[in-house]
Amino acid sequence: MGASRGPRLSGLQKQVLSLYRGFLRAARCKSAADRRQIESIVSAEFRRNSNQVDRKNFLYIEYLLRRGKKQLEQLQSPNTESLSQTKQS
Amino acid sequence: DPIISVIKNFQNVDPFKVTTNGHFQIDLGLDNLDFVEIVMALKEEFGFEIPDNEADIINTINMAVNFTASHCQGN
Repeated sequence: MGASRGPRLSGLQKQVLSLYRGFLRAARCKSAADRRQIESIVSAEFRRNSNQVDRKNFLYIEYLLRRGKKQLEQLQSPNTESLSQTKQS
Repeated sequence: DPIISVIKNFQNVDPFKVTTNGHFQIDLGLDNLDFVEIVMALKEEFGFEIPDNEADIINTINMAVNFTASHCQGN
């Protein structure tokens, strides 16, 4: 269950959603199986972060956004077929 | 209504809870990530483009239907 948000999104929330959209778009260019895998990994990761990360923890959120953007760029490269997850302790 | 049925078929949605005046979050328990997915599914199904800042404010079924209908006249 994601954090509840009012009708107006903060700038940071918009960036998160925009990144999520980017992943969904990139996933649509892959095969159906890859797409499902990407969607499930990305959606689980974003939701886990939205539950575990304090919304006021801007530094960490911005770090996650930067990391996510790099992963998206890698995904969009024609050499990449799918995402793999790294475990974080 | 084809737009409502796309929403009903959406993976996280309970089709019995979908009403024309429903709120994605309040009635269907969806979060912002789901809204993004729904808008993308509607875009794919009905073939329109929506700028991110407009997509981010769609949080009721009514808004989604109105937006889709107004952007695909003739579909």
